[in-house]
Amino acid sequence: MMKQPSVYSTTGNLVKTLLLMIPMVLLVFVFITRGNTDFSSPLKLVSFLITFVFFSGLFFMILYTGKTNRYRAIGFIVLASFFALTFIVNLITMRGSMSFSNNNFLSCEIPFCHIVTTMIIIPAAITKTIIFPGSILNGFASIASMLVIVIGISISIGRGFCSWGCFYGGWDDGFSSIGKKPVIRKVNPAFKWMPFAILLIIALASAATLSPVYCDWLCPFKSVTEFQKVTSMEIFFKTVVFISLFAGLVVVLPFLTKKRIQCSTFCPMGALLSFTNKINIFGLRIDKDKCTNCKLCAKTCPTLSIDSNDIEKGRPSFTCTKCGKCIDKCPKNAIHYHVKGTPENKNHTLNRMLFLFPSFTLLVIFTGGTMQQGIMLLVKLFTTGSFI
Amino acid sequence: MKSLKSIPAYIWAVFCMFLIPVTFMGNAYFARELAILPFMKVSPVYTGGDSIRSYKQDGMTVTINKPVFESLIGKSTKGFVQVKFSGKLPSIIKNTIDYNNDGVADFSLTINTLSNDSKLTVLSKNVTGLVVSSNVKSYWIVRVGVLNLTEK
Repeated sequence: MMKQPSVYSTTGNLVKTLLLMIPMVLLVFVFITRGNTDFSSPLKLVSFLITFVFFSGLFFMILYTGKTNRYRAIGFIVLASFFALTFIVNLITMRGSMSFSNNNFLSCEIPFCHIVTTMIIIPAAITKTIIFPGSILNGFASIASMLVIVIGISISIGRGFCSWGCFYGGWDDGFSSIGKKPVIRKVNPAFKWMPFAILLIIALASAATLSPVYCDWLCPFKSVTEFQKVTSMEIFFKTVVFISLFAGLVVVLPFLTKKRIQCSTFCPMGALLSFTNKINIFGLRIDKDKCTNCKLCAKTCPTLSIDSNDIEKGRPSFTCTKCGKCIDKCPKNAIHYHVKGTPENKNHTLNRMLFLFPSFTLLVIFTGGTMQQGIMLLVKLFTTGSFI
Repeated sequence: MKSLKSIPAYIWAVFCMFLIPVTFMGNAYFARELAILPFMKVSPVYTGGDSIRSYKQDGMTVTINKPVFESLIGKSTKGFVQVKFSGKLPSIIKNTIDYNNDGVADFSLTINTLSNDSKLTVLSKNVTGLVVSSNVKSYWIVRVGVLNLTEK
């Protein structure tokens, strides 16, 4: 099928692209320096420059080529890789191990991850307490600080967080991007409802036991962050479970299906954020006049968010993570970002820019610091043979 | 009508554009404001509960917390009491605890702080067993399972 010319006025227009890039370049500078322009060591300066050029380049390519997902995915995978690298090295430097002990647990020093939000809501409403061994305000990833971030992102881009800011999603995205064609071609779209069942079960189980059940038993990403020190058969069993889930849902199945299996069929946070898509101002629309019903969007959607009914309705399901893969793939340019309440199938460039600014800023904020630290760690590894 | 609706829609979209930088730049301020809400406190299940009594003994301070019998609704029949030993800890801590302050000892603890070995001797029918015994920074924390007899 012949690819139609891009509908964005920035595509192929160097002057317009450069002009629209200016505010983002300033934001990239602000967020990766974090107000600290002390480049006393050459290594700091080099890591800053690489990060700055990387993000400015990605944004340039998004605007100039009109392709969203292709360049978003690069930044997103870099985020997941460097986040895991820096997080693990920091843990080993501070604690001497990736595992946390009774010491960290009893002193309530466990970093709060956004996924825990799904488990604390019911107990917070009934018992007026947070069922997590973290700190409300102090230390790295405090509970209040992370909740502010979750609320801010939910209002701003809804479930777009899953494709532009989640520091775990890049693993799924990365493994699902390997290879040209899927080995398993058909994944039943009904699996997209699984996270809602998991959300319901873990929310109720966490309330009943007053403990974050998903973190305790199921979270696959403990494999690339932190986990409980194995001191009993129960903890050993939990360890086997989370490693198996990581291998199955994050590595093997995404590689075989080219879908983000953990994100679309297992993540309770994704389910919770899907509801925020309902009230979020940004969405995607399928122009039924242009659509030829080739269903390429349904085949390529990594989160099973488009099926025949959605094409008929002219919009993806509310589970859409706004990654832009369907937009990039559509040969008729029939899919585009949309600001709800505005005329459909109009102002494509404006709508896309309004969505890209907060989303890309989020990617820069989450990745900027970790990428710079990650580059410094890699240089240290190559020059000294050790991260620490 | 559609173009009239577009105005607030675009205003909201622009607001969302600024919201991400504001969320992160003002994170410390917003987090402090959020932290004052009534539900923003860590459950006693994790903190070990509030301290109710403390006394000095053999150069160390023994702090006994309020027993924790948290459940989603009402109180549980099973819980734990947390005891903290701080100050100058000996290599072997030997202590008898009366956690409910009824004048009768409930359990006694023998903790070897060098080898991490802890032994609980049950002296009351309320006490079920040792939950955890661990050094935390410069102090030692012990949680002992207890029954909430008033809930039975």
